[in-house]
Amino acid sequence: MTEAIVLKRKRGPAAILQALVPYLLAVIAAFAAVGVLLALLGFDVLRAYSTILFTSFRTTNGFIQTLIKWTPLVLQALAFTIPLAAGKFNIGGEGQLIVGGIGAAAVGILLAGLPLPILLPSVLLAGTLFGALWVLGPAWLLYRFGINEILTTVLMNFVAFELIDFTATKIWPDPAAGHPTTVPIGEGGYLPLLLSHPPLHSGLLIAVLVAILVYFYTDHTSAGYELVATGANPRASSVYGVNVRRMFLLSLLLGGAIAGLSGAIEVAGVHHRLIEGMQSNFLLLGIIIGLIAKGNNLAVPFVALFIAILEVGASALQRTMMIPGEMVFIVEALILIFVLLSDVVRRR
Amino acid sequence: MTTSSFIDFAALVMLAVVPYILASQGTMLAGRTGLFIVSQEGIMLVGASVGFLGAYLFDSLLVGVLLAMLVGGLMGLVLAYFTTTLKLDQFVVGLAVFFLGLGLSSLLFKVVIGVTLQPPIVPTLDAIPIPLLSRIPVLGPILFRQNILVYLSVLLSVALYLLLYKTGMGLALRSVGENPKAADSLGINVTRNRYVTAVIAGMLMALAGAYLPMVYTGTYTEGIVRGRGWLSIALTFFGGWTPHLILLGSFFFAGVEVLALRVQVTSIGIPHQFLRMLPYLATILVMIFAFRGVRPPAFLGQNYDRESRTSS
Repeated sequence: MTEAIVLKRKRGPAAILQALVPYLLAVIAAFAAVGVLLALLGFDVLRAYSTILFTSFRTTNGFIQTLIKWTPLVLQALAFTIPLAAGKFNIGGEGQLIVGGIGAAAVGILLAGLPLPILLPSVLLAGTLFGALWVLGPAWLLYRFGINEILTTVLMNFVAFELIDFTATKIWPDPAAGHPTTVPIGEGGYLPLLLSHPPLHSGLLIAVLVAILVYFYTDHTSAGYELVATGANPRASSVYGVNVRRMFLLSLLLGGAIAGLSGAIEVAGVHHRLIEGMQSNFLLLGIIIGLIAKGNNLAVPFVALFIAILEVGASALQRTMMIPGEMVFIVEALILIFVLLSDVVRRR
Repeated sequence: MTTSSFIDFAALVMLAVVPYILASQGTMLAGRTGLFIVSQEGIMLVGASVGFLGAYLFDSLLVGVLLAMLVGGLMGLVLAYFTTTLKLDQFVVGLAVFFLGLGLSSLLFKVVIGVTLQPPIVPTLDAIPIPLLSRIPVLGPILFRQNILVYLSVLLSVALYLLLYKTGMGLALRSVGENPKAADSLGINVTRNRYVTAVIAGMLMALAGAYLPMVYTGTYTEGIVRGRGWLSIALTFFGGWTPHLILLGSFFFAGVEVLALRVQVTSIGIPHQFLRMLPYLATILVMIFAFRGVRPPAFLGQNYDRESRTSS
């Protein structure tokens, strides 16, 4: 079943254009469907859509917000697509982000006095390791007993919700904050700013780097080819000497590490502390991005950019027109469904 | 533990068992025709939202329940259409429907009620004491002084057992999930079986969701389902994809939930966060055992294409 997700790519501009057509149609169909709903509810559809699509481009701040949103989204999407390449579903990116954030915050708080060249890498590394650690249980259960990873990874999210609550209310609570929040990490753990007005942290560069590395790994190395082959046909790969179960384990650990890194970047770049709820709905959007991109790691960053634009538009929509942000989430889910449908059309 | 606190605990478990039974029996039923649903959490959320809104707007819990089941049935229909007719990957479609449910549930509530600090409340389901039986000491208040859906969900499990194992229709249904090609060759309508079970499954899951505001909170909140949809998938495996063992297993799941979420008041020095982790951690542990002895329907998670030569 999964071979349908990891599609073979054709090269050349004509092929790219041809590949884009179903996406465009899917986007138009999703917007049309929600447009009818918005009109029925009595909202100004055109104004709503121009808010959704153009908020990111009207002001510098809007564009910066989009880039800040893009960073965790692309990482969460990759945390989903790497195991997907091996035919496994990591639905635990949320928990891995949270626990990665906890690891990053722990190091940033405990070693607060250290200078930047030492503290910042430690904070990021801790987040990455904690994220991988959080998926180790589900990955091992899959490796050892063949237990369905969808369930175990998703259940670990709920455990992580309690863990972050404990960390932010019992271990390092900030009594001044009205919401479960830890004290800030040491300044040496802050990600340097690329721009200061409005602030843009350098986590963006890390995400770009990770996206490039993942693309080269899955599409241009033999180790990555083993991963993709495992997903496309586990039985054939195993006949050719690939240790399929080890590929499952490895792919989930890589995904967890990247999700953990995204948590560390949220701590070190955006909040400079651990905040309950900082995971937002990045996991769900990451999965949507990964599925819309059909697991193609070259497409992931671009799909993520589009979703980031919609998300920035969604918050503007809520502020200025009192249209619930969920409306945009439904647009995104519908785009996914219509992209899936376009495959059916093409098959015929 | 004193008798009265035991009765309280057991009665709470009986109350908590309902969403697990309903959602898992739905999962099991669809799985028996080969459709592996992973949208439980989303369908339950929609059920909770629509059920609450229906009950509130029409001032009737029954209307709420029926509306929730209607929408749940529609979501089941969507699942069946995308997987059985269009033959798209079941997990991907299941996740997409989950997302849709997640968005729709909150959206509906916000559109109808708006953002308020004090959401409206619907009355909770009344307990219906069964004459005579409810007077039995200890067992009476636990088993026979419950709301209607507690009774119905137990009866449903019995009915499903009889249907699957004692009728020809049940045999046909099970054969679809084991070997659709063989079933097809015997004239059993694979597609219709899958559609029917998917729609019933969606209705049961939505009912499971609608139960939550009508018993616990009186209103819809975004966190109302709290992973029960996902847990019910685990419960289905735990119950070996059989209605009677799912019924038994649901008492375990509900028991852990009550321990973790409702006994916090009498906490014994353990931070409540760790108690609240219990249902999820216990489920993961349980799955290690559940996955070993269990053989799920052989065709689970796959789509049947009668023109394909390879699918057997």
